[in-house]
Amino acid sequence: MTKRLAGAVLGLAFAAAGSAGAAEPSQITMWSNWPDEPAKRDWVSARVKDFEAANKQCTVKLSFIPKADIYTQAKSAVRTGQAPDIFYMEPDQPEFLAGGFLEPLDGHIDLAGLEDWAKPAWTSKGKVYGLPVEAYTVELYYNKDAVKKVGVDVPASFQLSQAGFLDLVKKGAAAGITPVSQGVGDRPFPGGLLLFESLLRKLGREDYGRLLSGELSYKDPRVASVMTWFRELVDAGAYPKSFATLKLGESHYYFYQKPGALTFPDPSWFTGRAFAPPESGGMPADFPLGIMQFPAMDEGACPTCKTLAVAGSFVMYSRGKNKDCAGALLKSMATVDNGTKWMEQVSLQTGLKSDPARIKSPREAYFGELNARNTNVSYFFGTPLFHYRAKCAETFTQVMNNAFPAGLISVGEAADKMDAACRKSS
Amino acid sequence: MASTSSLAAVPAAPAAERAAPRRMTDPRRASLPVLAVFLVPALAVYAGLTAYPAFRTIYDSFFTIEGMERVPVGLANYRELLGDETFWVAVRNTFVWAFVAPILDVATGLLLALALYAGVPFARFFRIAWFTPVLLSYVVVAILWMWLYNYDWGVVNVALRAVGLDGLTRSWLGDPNTALAAVIVTHAWKWAGFNMVVCLAAIHSLPSEVLEASELDNCGWGAKLVHIIVPMLRPTLLNLYVLAFIGKMKVFDLVWIMTGGGPLWATETVSTYVYKRAFNWNTFDLGYPSAIAAVWFGVVCAAVLLLNRVFKSKERLEY
Repeated sequence: MTKRLAGAVLGLAFAAAGSAGAAEPSQITMWSNWPDEPAKRDWVSARVKDFEAANKQCTVKLSFIPKADIYTQAKSAVRTGQAPDIFYMEPDQPEFLAGGFLEPLDGHIDLAGLEDWAKPAWTSKGKVYGLPVEAYTVELYYNKDAVKKVGVDVPASFQLSQAGFLDLVKKGAAAGITPVSQGVGDRPFPGGLLLFESLLRKLGREDYGRLLSGELSYKDPRVASVMTWFRELVDAGAYPKSFATLKLGESHYYFYQKPGALTFPDPSWFTGRAFAPPESGGMPADFPLGIMQFPAMDEGACPTCKTLAVAGSFVMYSRGKNKDCAGALLKSMATVDNGTKWMEQVSLQTGLKSDPARIKSPREAYFGELNARNTNVSYFFGTPLFHYRAKCAETFTQVMNNAFPAGLISVGEAADKMDAACRKSS
Repeated sequence: MASTSSLAAVPAAPAAERAAPRRMTDPRRASLPVLAVFLVPALAVYAGLTAYPAFRTIYDSFFTIEGMERVPVGLANYRELLGDETFWVAVRNTFVWAFVAPILDVATGLLLALALYAGVPFARFFRIAWFTPVLLSYVVVAILWMWLYNYDWGVVNVALRAVGLDGLTRSWLGDPNTALAAVIVTHAWKWAGFNMVVCLAAIHSLPSEVLEASELDNCGWGAKLVHIIVPMLRPTLLNLYVLAFIGKMKVFDLVWIMTGGGPLWATETVSTYVYKRAFNWNTFDLGYPSAIAAVWFGVVCAAVLLLNRVFKSKERLEY
């Protein structure tokens, strides 16, 4: 009797332990970028909280880490099997996909929740590998009052001609106002924004694509003419003298606070910093912000072309141990509702589907202008660094991002270096 | 005689066999287990964290490693290295760092030490102030000097403008002609205090009778410095030079933070290039960066041996 009782107690204990084990929630780890961008950080945190509330069997250990650190840490971690279940990634890091470290999301999320134009950024061999949360277009922001003050009227098309933009630069420099706020102190791309957007408008989508794929030479006469014009801008004093060391955040402050500048080429993620409170370095509430099109090139093949790209995305580690929870979290994020919330809170485009009619934002005027500048445009997908790899990307960073816009090398030298590093036949 | 014959009868034991019993019987000598207790942890750490990674790096340099795949490529990485223009630029810059910068470091340290030895006013304050940069991290030093070099409001350009030398103002870190020198000066500023302390200790340990004799001979301060102090400090200065040389052959942090190797690779060093190839090249391949690291490991070892040989003929180096 005693033995039977003891057996029953033992059995109950095992059963209780078993049921307790089954109820134990699985913890997944997630690394997100944007530690210093409150709106994006809040959006990610809210999605994770919502997910945890709806899925008691899963908990999420969420960390916000600067992008460069995520890349460096993830490169070591994926090799050793210790990468987080979900981590931040951008499509310009294709080695993770090529190395087989990313899990296809097709079986985990509803792909109908993603914008069709955003899927190709993460599509390989017919499968989608990333959740494209952040998308952007490359825009030319300007200070309406300052541009007017130097005597330039922006036309109704919001697009200056090639000569008109040069005139703007010269007038700004003569008035002692920096024409273009830009710095490359901590980023590999800003110095190329104005030049490459101009090249896109000159060459059109097809030939611009050939240029970025190395099939077209930088010595092509059309490319050379744009680079020569660009060099004129540089020689006229377009960029700040501190261009080489000015950081991205500082170039924001330079544009809308001190000392002020006429224009600011920047991806539309501009809002992440600009819409922060002014005391935190954000744009003053009464700043006369405008958005113009990049200048139309003489005999340009596509004045209405514009770069569209996917940036911050979330990917799943292919060797993760909690793919069910990780997949469920990404699935919960990929909804129209969350896309709409992103647009509302971050004031930036997203690769998630959204419902513009439901967007209620104090920045409606800004959205209206951004939408107007993106009406009837032809998008080219991806910035140069999305297309360039390895030595070519490094040469772009050193030459087109830095030395050429800084006026350190000539048009011919820049073209030679780019062709040597990027041209397929070279 | 008897003792002689008995000695002759005993076969000569190998040295090791004779040494072993002596160690066992000598109370001052630790036994093998005790030695092992003290040595094994250190050796294990050395083997695991220094020797193994070094050999593994050399081994990896014969492969292309993409993801989890390792493809043996023989000497292909080394052949590619020979034609890698950026690598040679990095080598040139690193040699400039390694051979030129230590002269600046040691000279600055010596001058500061002499100033303290000569009894400048507020010597105690200056000794602390000049040593403080040694205690700062490279990140802090780099950010501080990036501010000093700022074109618009950095103290260097502000000072030049204040004295009417506007033409000399420039973007010190953005100009390929000045960027390397600007970073070298920053590095010298950080380490001057260390060299100062070592030089000051060496000066204070100079034999006082020699210095007093020179003063009795009416030897002036300049002559005493050139003919007595500096020659007698020569071993110390050479030691500092070699230490600085080794450190600068591996320089990474300051360059990475201040310029990232730019502009136009003007400040690229071998270490920053290895890092870029390993982590910023859109590839997981560790084979090629391992080849660069392996080559540079050999170069550093050879250079140190060479410097030892050059200086050894006259001075005894101690590290």
